[in-house]
Amino acid sequence: MANPCAWSTLRSEPFRFHLRWRSVLSLPENPFDYDLALQGCARGDRRALQGLYEHEGGRLLAVAKRIVGDTALAEDIVHDAFVRIWTRAASFDPQRGSARGWLFSVTRHLALNHVRRHARLQPLADQDLDAMVVDEPASLAIGGAHIDGCLEQLEPTRRQCLYHAYLDGYSHAEIAHKLDTPLGTVKAWIKRSLAALRECMG
Amino acid sequence: MNERNRPEEAMPEEPLNIEELAGEYVLGTLNNDLRDQVRQRLPHEPALRAAVDAWEARLLPLAQRQAPVQPSAGLWQRIERSLDGAAPQPIPIWWNRVGLWRTLAGAGLAATLVLGAMLLNVSRVATAPTYVVVLIGPQDKAPGWVVQANARQEIQLIPLHDSEVPADRSLQFWTKADSWQGPVSLGLVQPGQRVEVPLDKLPPLENNQLFELTLEPRNGSTTGKPTGPIQFIGRAVKVI
Repeated sequence: MANPCAWSTLRSEPFRFHLRWRSVLSLPENPFDYDLALQGCARGDRRALQGLYEHEGGRLLAVAKRIVGDTALAEDIVHDAFVRIWTRAASFDPQRGSARGWLFSVTRHLALNHVRRHARLQPLADQDLDAMVVDEPASLAIGGAHIDGCLEQLEPTRRQCLYHAYLDGYSHAEIAHKLDTPLGTVKAWIKRSLAALRECMG
Repeated sequence: MNERNRPEEAMPEEPLNIEELAGEYVLGTLNNDLRDQVRQRLPHEPALRAAVDAWEARLLPLAQRQAPVQPSAGLWQRIERSLDGAAPQPIPIWWNRVGLWRTLAGAGLAATLVLGAMLLNVSRVATAPTYVVVLIGPQDKAPGWVVQANARQEIQLIPLHDSEVPADRSLQFWTKADSWQGPVSLGLVQPGQRVEVPLDKLPPLENNQLFELTLEPRNGSTTGKPTGPIQFIGRAVKVI
């Protein structure tokens, strides 16, 4: 089926670009309503799903790609994620978290499931430590100031453990290998770092 | 011997408490067994679910700030094609949903036959219910509650087995006849407990009238309409 909104999407590109910058700068009036879009999906409205795809498809692809290490495979994950978002939209419970967060959570867990059950396509050695630094400065990130302040209180290596786990989808053993640190140490670091993070963030 | 290996690796690993389990589940560092265990426990353990939700929210900014990667041109079309095929229909607002009702009609008919057969034996002495509803879970299609309604405009909601809801949530009972604009609350329900609800403020029960239980805030929906996910749903079938 041809994309029915291709024309209007093209036309509204400058507008959407503007919106993206506004959302990056954390201005409150981001007009895209994720909850409304999920309600639309639950009613069977494909335009609602397409709206979610246009707003978050690229970011979700980035999340999946960083974990599975391959663009084609990451697109498979995003494909599965959107099918799941479509079929489960009615079961989304806004009291459990944000609609936008749910999209990321669905995608991340699908990607994690994949790397836990299959060999990674990209060997770990191909990614160097520099690539693990968070991509955007904290001041531009959406709602990230809180976690950044707390992450900064961790020792850099321990912080890297959390990035490797959460962003790269590395297992304990992969992090230990990557950082050339004993497995038990990595496990203990992560456990304590999570406790510290929770203490700091509430 | 490598000295670094000694202290922590020699220690036996302690089982993780709920917070640690939730944190490492969201972080992604649980092994497959533990990961599967958490996933299986989540629907039944409100405390674990709340801890997982909190961790998702805490770490989310890290995922959301990654620079977008441009998807290939055909990805959306591929997703759309998959919606045409194997994907089950989403659950729209429940009283408009056709697909579920096909399944429910079958379940309702089966229940009618079974309960009807039972009534043949007992109805000579008891007040005969005139309508029966089997409420099933929208995901697993398993029956969870039975509603029976008699001519005096009172209905009994009868649990078929124990169930639980998160501590801060309640089950709310709703009904809607085909001609009504929206559902009407019949009040809050305790999981696993039988309840009798007078319907004297409502029009007489109708064939096909819909009933559902949704998960709502502890004191019930604040909007007067269902807001939470459907737990059980069914439609009335005339028995006699």
